[in-house]
Amino acid sequence: MDNLYDIIIIGGGAAGMAAGVYGGRSRLKTLIIEKGAVGGAAYSTREIANYPGFHAHVSGPALMADFRAHAEKFGVEFTRGEVRELSLEGDPKTIRLKKGPEYQAKSVVLALGTEPRLLGVPGEKEFRGMGVSYCATCDAENFTDCVVAVVGNGDAALEEAVYIAKFAAKVIVIVIHDEGIVDCNKVSAEIAFQHPRLEFVWNSSLAEIKGDEDVSSIVVKNLKTGALTETAVDGVFMYVGLLPMTGVVRDLVETDKNGYIITGDKMETSVSGVYAAGDCRQKYLRQVVTAAADGAVAAHAAGHYIEEFEEYKTMVAGSDQILLAFWSPMNEFSINAIAKAEQISAEYPGKIKLVKIDLYRKQMLARKYNVQTPGTFILLKRETACGTLSTDCYNTLESTLRAWMTR
Amino acid sequence: MAITKLDADSFERNVIEGRGKCLIVFSRQNCHVCAEVVPMLEELAPELASECAFYYVDVEEQASLYKTYPLKGVPSLMFFKDGDYQGKLAGPVTEEQVREKIAAIG
Repeated sequence: MDNLYDIIIIGGGAAGMAAGVYGGRSRLKTLIIEKGAVGGAAYSTREIANYPGFHAHVSGPALMADFRAHAEKFGVEFTRGEVRELSLEGDPKTIRLKKGPEYQAKSVVLALGTEPRLLGVPGEKEFRGMGVSYCATCDAENFTDCVVAVVGNGDAALEEAVYIAKFAAKVIVIVIHDEGIVDCNKVSAEIAFQHPRLEFVWNSSLAEIKGDEDVSSIVVKNLKTGALTETAVDGVFMYVGLLPMTGVVRDLVETDKNGYIITGDKMETSVSGVYAAGDCRQKYLRQVVTAAADGAVAAHAAGHYIEEFEEYKTMVAGSDQILLAFWSPMNEFSINAIAKAEQISAEYPGKIKLVKIDLYRKQMLARKYNVQTPGTFILLKRETACGTLSTDCYNTLESTLRAWMTR
Repeated sequence: MAITKLDADSFERNVIEGRGKCLIVFSRQNCHVCAEVVPMLEELAPELASECAFYYVDVEEQASLYKTYPLKGVPSLMFFKDGDYQGKLAGPVTEEQVREKIAAIG
């Protein structure tokens, strides 16, 4: 089937493309689906200053073009499209686009990214593109010699305020905190504080954006006094945080209250064979380097999952009854228990197929049957668990296994 | 490019002196919202070809043409009929909004 892939990655930002590099390099048939610009958040970043190894000036688009070329070199396919619906349980997983074909995948990596959070003040939606902007790279030039407000005080807010000031006559930065306190990195904050065309308004929030066809003024609320002040501006740039673009999977995988996907350290989500990487995941630091790392882990884990799943399918295919024996090289009891189980099994030829699973290396079946400790045995009858044994006693082990063999 | 790219001269000929409805999308390379909106228009253009002409202006290549109009950002879509300005849409414009806008121009 042409539309069946080993790994389908949804999202072509840094995380998705890094996952592509690792998937492609492992000779897995890999597809990246991107709805907009390949390169994601980094695509509209003018300079990436802290991607290790790239200490000379590198722009976001240039770095992302390299990511893409790297993924394509390993045979990764790219397609344009927006996901309408996913079915992630079971195998294979199905991905339906708003337009175009339906895809199937053995595993899925969700690298969905984030989008700017809207503040929700009056005028924000109406004037989007008419003076309200979320992208200085795209729009700053339109405000040459104008007065512009920037709302927010994180890295993006202050770095972009300095960029906008290259064009604008004055940039008013509206900060919610007390004077001198910002959530931005120190280097960028210093540059912003010393900039002659930046003016900071402390303890304040944006209350309203006003205008006719385009923005003409803003109303700023002083949070200490409650006073409202109207100021004439030509534009407003909003940097009040990000939201994960996880709407399409919100009911399918576990997310936190803000919608970020919860993963384990292998980037695994709450659904078997489904991984998440990059900014859409609940994590501490959202940068190109951490997105790339997530992508690598996710694709590697997905590769292992596929391998295990194929093994499992072959294993259950020809046998009625299977004894799953979970062991670990670090657990001596489990090593001896497996040996014992093999002895007993040999006494009843053709009765039950014994399958040894190294818990240290393989996780899929352990997750499927919720096994945590080595030395656990599970009896499967046509893929359904009909007996579980977890013991550290050789006698119990022997009597239970013999009972299963003669059942 | 499924949409005809314009410079200042062809803008004058096709839009200002043109007959019927047209839309022009002003876009730039490194704009991620444009990267979603422009392909949407490219897909829509053939379907609506008999009703509305679709044009494209790269604002970096055509800086002076871009400055002629009081646009505040990219992507911006301007609509014309028989050379007369009919309004604009801006930001993350959807296919439905474009269809409605074209239909609304009598």
